Amino acid sequence: MRRIMLCSAVLMVLAARGAHAVVTGTIVGPGSESFPIAVVPPKDLGGDPGGALGARFAKALTRDLDLSGYFKLIDPKTFVENPETSGITAGEIDFVGWAAIGAQALVKGGISAAGNGITLEVRLFDVPGRKDVPQASKRFSGGRDDVGRMAHRTADAILEFLTGERGPFDSKLAMVSTRSGRLKDVYTWTFDQDDPVRATDERSLVIAPRWRPDARALAFASYREHMPHLFQVDLGTRQVTRLVPGPGVVLDGAWSPDGTRLLVTREEGGNSDIYLVDRGGQVVQRLTDHWAIDVSPAWAPDGRRFAFCSARTGSPQIYVMNVDGSNVVRVSHTGSYNTSPAWSPKGDHIAYTTRGGGGFQVVVTTPDGGSAQTITSAGSNEDPSWAPDGRYLVFSSTRAGGHRLFLADRDGKTQKQLTRGAGDDTSPAWSARLE
Amino acid sequence: MSGSWTWRVALALLLIVPLGSACKKKGPRPGEGGAGAAGGGIGEEGLGGSSLERAKRGLGPEENGILKDVHFGFDRYDLDSEGRDILARNVEWLRQNPRAKVELEGHCDSRGTIEYNLALGAKRAKTVKDYLTTQGIAADRISTISYGKELPLCHDENETCWARNRRVHAVVLGP
Repeated sequence: MRRIMLCSAVLMVLAARGAHAVVTGTIVGPGSESFPIAVVPPKDLGGDPGGALGARFAKALTRDLDLSGYFKLIDPKTFVENPETSGITAGEIDFVGWAAIGAQALVKGGISAAGNGITLEVRLFDVPGRKDVPQASKRFSGGRDDVGRMAHRTADAILEFLTGERGPFDSKLAMVSTRSGRLKDVYTWTFDQDDPVRATDERSLVIAPRWRPDARALAFASYREHMPHLFQVDLGTRQVTRLVPGPGVVLDGAWSPDGTRLLVTREEGGNSDIYLVDRGGQVVQRLTDHWAIDVSPAWAPDGRRFAFCSARTGSPQIYVMNVDGSNVVRVSHTGSYNTSPAWSPKGDHIAYTTRGGGGFQVVVTTPDGGSAQTITSAGSNEDPSWAPDGRYLVFSSTRAGGHRLFLADRDGKTQKQLTRGAGDDTSPAWSARLE
Repeated sequence: MSGSWTWRVALALLLIVPLGSACKKKGPRPGEGGAGAAGGGIGEEGLGGSSLERAKRGLGPEENGILKDVHFGFDRYDLDSEGRDILARNVEWLRQNPRAKVELEGHCDSRGTIEYNLALGAKRAKTVKDYLTTQGIAADRISTISYGKELPLCHDENETCWARNRRVHAVVLGP
């Protein structure tokens, strides 16, 4: 039933774009891993002898497509054309051969490099239709270091064409990690990197990294001055500055969608409450005033409401509130321990962590608390953060031992491990799409 | 910076430990769970210091320093009778050592979200501070900090370990 609905939704989107654009065949939801696609490394058109850049591009694109959960990636060992010698336009491609190995879609392209600059042309082909798909075909130019982002943009465009929704992979993840073995620091990761990269040099306790909407800075709380305060790190300069001045303890902070204000949790006299502060850290308004714990504010994308965790009924539950402090509505209705809300950038869902089944699981619900669905089951899964497309989430999970970041779609049908290595990766935050 | 702080604490402890030893038998004894020889060689372990300073020096958090830890139930920050008994003895020690200041560290077990546990640890530390001040200990002798679940004593996932980690630990600072 669900499959049929998804298929028809996809076909409607494609039909609206004009009949020439339709890829023959259907694509069903994340987790199906059923749409067969072949990713051929872009051919060297000059300046990439040995094909290192092309290989990097193909590796990153293949990973993105695999993570999306829609595709069956065809094994390069079975490819019917030599990437280095075969043509890259519809007239030159052996569509019959590609169809014979089961490919429904094919990615080919060419890359030329001069100095640090590269030009990459990449095309998506409809194999049964024996034609290229202009909507998902691109020419990129940039530096050698941009080849990963070119792959992510290609993946995002392919997902947009095939599913009607642009992919989320041209973005970054932030997390707290102990992977360097020196207490905690904030790390960032892009989908083409092998390992997360350290962004701070706190060697202390760091809490709750949150992206500035332009994805160029992160807010986080740090114990660098004994008590926890809110800081930001500029990812370009690596400079760390205080976001909220003064001696007050701040446990977490989240930027408004327009980047002009923050919601922060201040702890005073043992009690934590949520405040709206301006860019200079000055209090605009106190939003909760309750003897119970209020913590973890998460903005709605319209900037008018936010979700938060409060223990005002005796156990932690998820609530939403207007940013002027009015209209408090409880969102979580089952379970005695619900924390760490995250509001989808599409506005239509809230994810949070629930205690149950001997551990913690990720729940996805609507902002009014309807149709709550638990999307994880193996290990403990905590601190969900939404992808910019509102279709996927990242969270920390212990299912593979230690804390690692995992990705799932919002129905939990596809579940993929993102980070590996030493230490614990926790508190993930998925950035907006990069500019 | 952190080095000088560490030395300050170490110095304070050198001053306070003998005082502690001299106090009534009722008072918690210093050095419990602290330094001591292990096996054949000379065992050496730093005493005191905040849990974070200790972690920066590669040491685990201290359990039961000069003042004994107070424990809590899961997701709770109220005192039970055992906690009140421990605090009664801690009050006694603080009365006999009027120049000593303490920092109360709120800690939580590994279960639950990091931010929520930070808020919960703050509640626990405040509960203990309130108890001490109602017993006449001056509020300006007591500071509080929450480490949530960030600096656990033990790392096993079982009730024994969780119970040890749900605590308020008092770090004695110099006058």
